[in-house]
Amino acid sequence: MIRLENVSKVYPTSTRPALDDVSVAVERGEFVFLIGPSGSGKSTLLRLLLREDVPTGGTVWVANWNVGRLARRRVPRLRQRMGCVFQDFRLLPNKTVGENVAFALEVIGKPRHTVRTVVPEVLDMVDLGGKADRMPSELSGGEAQRVAIARAFVNRPLVLLADEPTGNLDPETAGGIMTLIERINRTGTTVLMATHDRQIVDSMRRRVVELSSGRLARDDDRGVYGTVR
Amino acid sequence: MLFVWREALVGLRRNLTMSIAMVITTAISLGLLGAGLLAVRTIDRTEDLYYSLIAVQVALDEPTSADDPDCTTPVCRDLRSELERDPLVASVEYESRDAAFARFQRIYAGQSILQLVRPQSLPATLRVTMADPLRGTEIVDRFTGRPGVRNVVDQRSTVADLFSFLGSVRNATFGLAVVQTLAAVLLISNTIQLSAFTRRTEVGIMRLVGATRWYTQVPFLIEAVVTGVVGAVLATGGLVAAKAFFLDRLLSGRLLANTIPPIGMSDVLGYVGPVLVVVGTVIATATGYVTLRLYVRQ
Ligand SMILES: Nc1ncnc2c1ncn2[C@@H]1O[C@H](COP(=O)(O)OP(=O)(O)OP(=O)(O)O)[C@@H](O)[C@H]1O
Ligand SMILES: [Mg+2]
Repeated sequence: MIRLENVSKVYPTSTRPALDDVSVAVERGEFVFLIGPSGSGKSTLLRLLLREDVPTGGTVWVANWNVGRLARRRVPRLRQRMGCVFQDFRLLPNKTVGENVAFALEVIGKPRHTVRTVVPEVLDMVDLGGKADRMPSELSGGEAQRVAIARAFVNRPLVLLADEPTGNLDPETAGGIMTLIERINRTGTTVLMATHDRQIVDSMRRRVVELSSGRLARDDDRGVYGTVR
Repeated sequence: MLFVWREALVGLRRNLTMSIAMVITTAISLGLLGAGLLAVRTIDRTEDLYYSLIAVQVALDEPTSADDPDCTTPVCRDLRSELERDPLVASVEYESRDAAFARFQRIYAGQSILQLVRPQSLPATLRVTMADPLRGTEIVDRFTGRPGVRNVVDQRSTVADLFSFLGSVRNATFGLAVVQTLAAVLLISNTIQLSAFTRRTEVGIMRLVGATRWYTQVPFLIEAVVTGVVGAVLATGGLVAAKAFFLDRLLSGRLLANTIPPIGMSDVLGYVGPVLVVVGTVIATATGYVTLRLYVRQ
C-alpha cells in the first residue's frame, strides 16, 4: 500500500538531509508506528506521502500513485483517498463540527443526501453525535481530535496518516483516540502513525519503524518504543 | 456549488470596507466609461443631424447675382456644371437673390433687422451638398476667388467648434475611465490577495483534505465577479440619475436646445447598461483569474 524506495529529502535551507535513503514497505491493512527522536524526519516522511513536499531522491508509492511524480492537478485525487490527522487538529475554524466532516465529502462531490446520512453516522462512531452544531472553538482537545478523525475516515480512505495525534492530549483521552484509530484499522484501512508516546507503543505491540537522523534505524514486527539497553 | 457561493459571500462580508471600496471604484470607472459611450453616441447623432443640413455655400458676386432667378448666366451655369461634375459633390442647388430674400423674411419675420436688409444686399448662392461632408475645404479652396464668386463658406467649419468641444468631453471621459479602471483593477487584485492571505490556513486545510485548487479559489473569483456586476449596476443607476436630474435639463435648456439631441433612456438602459455589465464582469473576472494564477500559490 505504501512503499518508499531509497527515499531522501534535503530541504533547500539545510545541508543535513531530513530523510536519508529510507526504504520501507507497508502492506494493506497494516498498523505501523513511526517513532524516533525529535527532528528524525517522521513528519517529513508523512509530508512526502501526502505530497505536501516532493522527495529529493528515491520513489514514494501510495497504492499505485508515484507520489513524487504526480502532476499537481492529480494531487487532490490522492489526498481524497488518504485521511490525515495532526497534533493540532486542523479543523476549519468557521465551520461547525458537522460541516467540517461534511467538507471531506463535498470535496469529492458526494450528493447532499449521502452527506446528510453519512455525517451523523460517522459522528456517532466517534461519540460526538450530539455535537454536530458546535464550532471547533467550543470543543475540548479530545473532542476536536475525534472530529478530525471522523473527517479523515468519512471517505473510507485507503490510508490513515496520523502525526502525533495524541501529542496534545492527556493519557486517558489519548487512549480513547487510539481505540478509535484501531477500530478504523480493523475496517481494513492502513494506518501509519508518528508518535512520541512510549506508553501507547508499548501497550499496543504493533509494527514499529524507527528513524534516527533521517535514517531507518529499526523495523520490528511487534515492537516496543525503546529497546532496553 | 452551494459551498462556493456561501464562501464568496462570507469573503465579501469579512472585508466589508474593502468590498465597498472595490465596488465604488469599479462603479465609478464603469460610470465614466458609460458616460464616454453616451458622448460618442451623442456626437454621432449630432453629426448626423448637422451633416444633413450643412453644405458648402458658394456665394456669387453682385453682377452675377443680379436678375438671375434660374442660374442662366454663363458664369453661373459654368460654375454649377463644374460643381455637379465634381465627385466630391452630391448635389447642387441654386438659390436666387429673390429666393434668399424670401427665406430671410421668413426666418426673421417681425424683427427689426428686416428693415435694414434689401434684396440687393443678399447674394445668390449655389448650395453644395457634399458627398463627403469632411472634404468641404477642398471645394472652398478650389472656388474661392473664381470669376463671379464672392466668397465660399464651408458651414461645417462653423459647427466644428461644437464637435471639438463634444470630442474633448468624450476624450476626457475615456481618459478618466482608463485611469479609474486601473485603480479598480489594482484594488480588486489587492483585495483578492488579502482575502487569500487571510484565509491561507483555512485553504491549506482544505487542500489537505483533497480540495482542488479550483474549488478553493472559485470563491475569490466569485467575489470579483460580484464586484464587477454590482459595480456595473450601480454605474448604470448613476447614469440614469445623471440623465434624469442633470443632462435632460442641460440639453433641453436654452443654451443647448436643438443644438445637441437629447439622450434617450433606451440609450442608457438598452445600450450602455448591458455594455457596462459585460465589460465590468470581464474585467473583474480577468483580474481575479490573473491574480489567482500569479499571486496566490495555494
Ligand atoms: N520546511 C522545512 N524546511 C527546512 N527544514 C525542515 C523543514 N521541515 C523540517 N525540517 C528539518 O528536517 C528535519 C526533520 O524534521 P521533521 O519535522 O520531519 O522531524 P520530526 O521527526 O517530525 O520531529 P518532531 O518529533 O519534533 O515532530 C529537522 O532537522 C527539521 O529541522
Ligand atoms: Mg513531527
